[in-house]
Amino acid sequence: MSSPTAYLHRRTGALLPRRLRKPLLAFFVLGTLIAVSARLCKVDLSEFFPGLLKGVEVLRFFFPPDWSSLQEMLVPALVTVLLAAVATPLGVVLSFFFGLAGARNLSPPWLRSTARTLIGVERALPEIIVLLLLVAALGVGPFPGVIALAIGSVGMLGKLFADAIEELDAKVLESVGSVGATRSQIIRFAVLPEVMPALLSNSIFRFEVNIRASVLLGAVGAGGIGFELQKAMALLEYERAMMAVLVTLLLVFGAERVSDFLRRRVLDGGKLA
Amino acid sequence: MSATGLPLPALGYVPPSAMFRRRTAIIAGVVAFITAAGVYLNFKPWMLFTDFHHLVRLADEMVPPNVALLWTKTALYQSVAETVAMAFLGTLVGGTVAFALAFVAAKNTTPHPWLRHVARLGFGLERATPNFVVLLILFIAFGFGPYAAMIALAIGSVGMFGKLFADAIEQIDPGPCEAVASVGANPFQVIRYAVIPQVLPSVVANGFYAFDVNMRAAIALGVYGGGGIGFELQLAMKVLRYPDVLALILLVIVLITGMERVSDLIRRSLLRSDTLK
Repeated sequence: MSSPTAYLHRRTGALLPRRLRKPLLAFFVLGTLIAVSARLCKVDLSEFFPGLLKGVEVLRFFFPPDWSSLQEMLVPALVTVLLAAVATPLGVVLSFFFGLAGARNLSPPWLRSTARTLIGVERALPEIIVLLLLVAALGVGPFPGVIALAIGSVGMLGKLFADAIEELDAKVLESVGSVGATRSQIIRFAVLPEVMPALLSNSIFRFEVNIRASVLLGAVGAGGIGFELQKAMALLEYERAMMAVLVTLLLVFGAERVSDFLRRRVLDGGKLA
Repeated sequence: MSATGLPLPALGYVPPSAMFRRRTAIIAGVVAFITAAGVYLNFKPWMLFTDFHHLVRLADEMVPPNVALLWTKTALYQSVAETVAMAFLGTLVGGTVAFALAFVAAKNTTPHPWLRHVARLGFGLERATPNFVVLLILFIAFGFGPYAAMIALAIGSVGMFGKLFADAIEQIDPGPCEAVASVGANPFQVIRYAVIPQVLPSVVANGFYAFDVNMRAAIALGVYGGGGIGFELQLAMKVLRYPDVLALILLVIVLITGMERVSDLIRRSLLRSDTLK
């Protein structure tokens, strides 16, 4: 038992049994990655618990929320919802055209690849960067906000629409085309009715996403509840900021509920009402 | 009677069908609401044409991009690495915490129904809270920089993936759990030998998806002061160096699409091989 080579594998003579090699390698690679990342992020574990305590202490400043400011929050909250409400249909229409251009069964290859590339580029860019660029060009206000949200929808919706159109049954398009329909008639009478449920449910979901995004955009100058929140934080009025956070939570939860409800109706019945 | 022998509908006014009327009413209502909203917001769509020259001017200022920046400014490598590191650690830490909490939040593994509701509510609250609010609080606690941003990403991942993981656990096949329990396994052994093997593929797939989401979020949080490439971008914008801005945007696009490819490759090879079984 106590031979000097007892630690070697019995049959192969390897230092480690084969069964353990892969997990150990993964463990080693992962460990290295974690160590390097932690260094890059300037992680300091000794600072974690003091920081956490400080965070809890900071959170105490946020309570109780400043209920008296609720009334001043209502209009900004409405602005946030309306921004999303105006931007979503614009984004849907824009994305629908990108979807048509990006579908293999409707567009020539050069158009498809161009549209798909643009969609991919938009998806890669965080919303905030698109907004900052538009703010740089057009100034602050509802117009750059709406346009940023509309353009921001293209990355997600354009891809989903294009995929939905590509999954259409070729027979449907052919049968409409065979009775002499033009391309726009094919789109109107074959594509649109077929993709309608996907179009509607994804658009409703995007409305929910746009409400979150419009809070975020508000913080950099598009107005609305995000702006109120940013302002209160900058002025160190934490109790007022907490009120803005509560209003935001309410908005997002509400939007989630409404969007879930509407989407279930669309997917069950194929139509909204 | 017509030539084909089929009865033709009576000529003259045919009232539109109920479905048509209802649909028209809904569309008209939505259009009216959106128009009213646009008027209220003072949103002027024609600004797209009247202010188009501003967009052209900005584009004109950005082109040609100062791509030389990408190899002359070596500090950028540090920023890129910082952003990737933030996303990686945030996903890993957040995913681990989310995985642990998911067992509390899933109906079939929770220690107590009340705890389940508390966990679910926590996930919901976190998801509804804008990321940058969490970040602003963490800045006060941990100071500006990637450390605070990494923790913000981790917290964000818990909200997002706690729910997904919990849903995955709720959907498992109870058969294996009963089988393991019937030979005398304690609850932890049931989780280890019956639950985890079933949810691991979905957890891994979602983890990689979380990394993709967090890459973008890491850049966005950088803009607010979290460091990394987002911070560089915001800095270049503030000093109006638009050729640099475009170069950095191109870098961001390449970085995000590249990391997406890499994570997709690793995820596929992991899920294809039987490493996870």
